[in-house]
Amino acid sequence: MLIPPLIAKLPEVKSAVVADLGGAVVEVLRERDGEGAAAVIGFLWSTAAEAGDHLGLGALRLVSYAGPARGAVVASAGSRLVAAFVEPTSSLSSVEKLLAGALERKEA
Amino acid sequence: MEPILQGLLDLPGVSAAIVFDAAGAVVASCGRALYDRPLCEQVSGSLTKAVDAVRLQQEDWESITALFADGKFLLQNLATSTTRGHVLAVVADSTLNASFATVAIRVATNKLKRSIAGGTSEPGTGSSATGRPSGSGATPTAGFSPHPPASGSQPLPSDSKVLANTGVSWSKSSSSVGLSRVAVANPASAAFLGRCAKELARHVGPIAKVYVEESVRRVSPDAPFSLSAANPLVNDLAAQIEDPADRADFCKALEKP
Repeated sequence: MLIPPLIAKLPEVKSAVVADLGGAVVEVLRERDGEGAAAVIGFLWSTAAEAGDHLGLGALRLVSYAGPARGAVVASAGSRLVAAFVEPTSSLSSVEKLLAGALERKEA
Repeated sequence: MEPILQGLLDLPGVSAAIVFDAAGAVVASCGRALYDRPLCEQVSGSLTKAVDAVRLQQEDWESITALFADGKFLLQNLATSTTRGHVLAVVADSTLNASFATVAIRVATNKLKRSIAGGTSEPGTGSSATGRPSGSGATPTAGFSPHPPASGSQPLPSDSKVLANTGVSWSKSSSSVGLSRVAVANPASAAFLGRCAKELARHVGPIAKVYVEESVRRVSPDAPFSLSAANPLVNDLAAQIEDPADRADFCKALEKP
């Protein structure tokens, strides 16, 4: 299982998707349109990284977005992207930290 | 608009603040020496695509944050009830005090929304940080989508068929993000959409399926998609392909029966 169990168990994480860097779906948890979500996060990651390249910001570590009710966190784990869709938005920063920490431990 | 952006630039750690429109054209910008107009335009082009990707997942997005090894950028949606598409981008290094910056950015966002709603936001009407008019030399950057995205899923007519399994694994179930259902008039129309997605995928990758769904909602918003709307659909989809030769190949491939 590529989605960290710690993240999968969080009640605030309504769904999660693992994609490759090209946006192809690898693993899906409670997400009804895993393919669409994977494609979007793959594209989001590549465009954010492109903007970071222009700005000389170095390697992209994490992308998150939020609306009034829900949001999402995307982090990389090697050649994979892990996205967690979070509700409510107020939990986003704690999920960000947990996801980043879980992926760092996995890579170590 | 510039004084508001200048206020953000005064925050410790902030390197640049840019406002761009839905097409990626820089409306106003303020930045340290390195962040000249061409760089801001290059960056806004990439950020527009990122924003459009997020919009596909979450139409009501308010903020986007990207953390890098050596800094971050923060995007704020400047849409109001009367205007849409403008985005504030704040570029910062790792010394940014996130808590303080969040408050300052929120205040700036509200001021910018009022400014845009007041009609001072059109490209070319403001002055940039480099002292040139905002519109001078500002070629609108090709965005991820030439059209505003559909505002949510269209309700499906009860007598319509739902596209499924057309060769690119269309999902049979409804989606929480509104991406997996489009109504089609008949099996031939469904097959055509499958072909469109496959051909488009050769040029843009897996996001093709999402493009096709969004495009169907644009060209056939009030009725199930039928082959009578095939030409507008192909033209709409072709706009997603940047390379002219690839675009021509895509159109040619779909001319064949």
